[in-house]
Amino acid sequence: MAGDGSNAGDGYNYTTFVGDDDFLAFRSALPVGSKAPDFPVVVAATGEQARLSDFWRDADLLIEFGSLT
Amino acid sequence: MAREYADKGFASVFVYTREAHPGEHFPAHASPEQKLAHARSFAERFGIERPILVDDLAGTGHRLYGLLPNMTYLVSRAGSVLFRADWTDAPTIRAALDYVAAARARRRAGMRLKPFYAASVGFRWSDPAKFQEGLHLAGPQAVDDFARAMERWSSGTPLKGALPIDEG
Repeated sequence: MAGDGSNAGDGYNYTTFVGDDDFLAFRSALPVGSKAPDFPVVVAATGEQARLSDFWRDADLLIEFGSLT
Repeated sequence: MAREYADKGFASVFVYTREAHPGEHFPAHASPEQKLAHARSFAERFGIERPILVDDLAGTGHRLYGLLPNMTYLVSRAGSVLFRADWTDAPTIRAALDYVAAARARRRAGMRLKPFYAASVGFRWSDPAKFQEGLHLAGPQAVDDFARAMERWSSGTPLKGALPIDEG
């Protein structure tokens, strides 16, 4: 797994959904034209370490964020 | 859609984040291994063909891109954000991809194109029954938690940034 493998300890992995997502803050963060941040990932199918930018080197990249739930 | 647009120069990935609606069957991640296992369950259950990329346990990537549960971005091969939406909606994505593909085609045809900033409101399909199916998949706790959130949103604590535009 990428990163230090520790839980953030700041409620990131909350155990109870409260519904306080901030859609307003999203509008001003990372606007179009910005340089896309890169970060380490693990490819689920293989368990290999990679970086997100590995996937936009050869093609424009559509990135969907989400989870099973 | 990912397959269709691959032929037009677009790749597609799914970044696996925290569980948005943790429940008894898919609880909040307590370890990187658990998060990876959930991502693999997701791929298997929904037949996801795109690469699923698992963010770290602390949500490093998720935070960098805005921390919402179902965002979409389009990033150019030069690493610039071309499109972003606070929710994933297939027709909206299709429109964005078609627009970029058409612009590229016009450039290839010799037209001089200068980039500019544009924004629009999206209209996404909302299917409460299907959404409830997803909550049940997570477990009874997810169903109850969401019901409580709905009560809060409708009783004076609306979701931050919910667009008031509704054209019926």
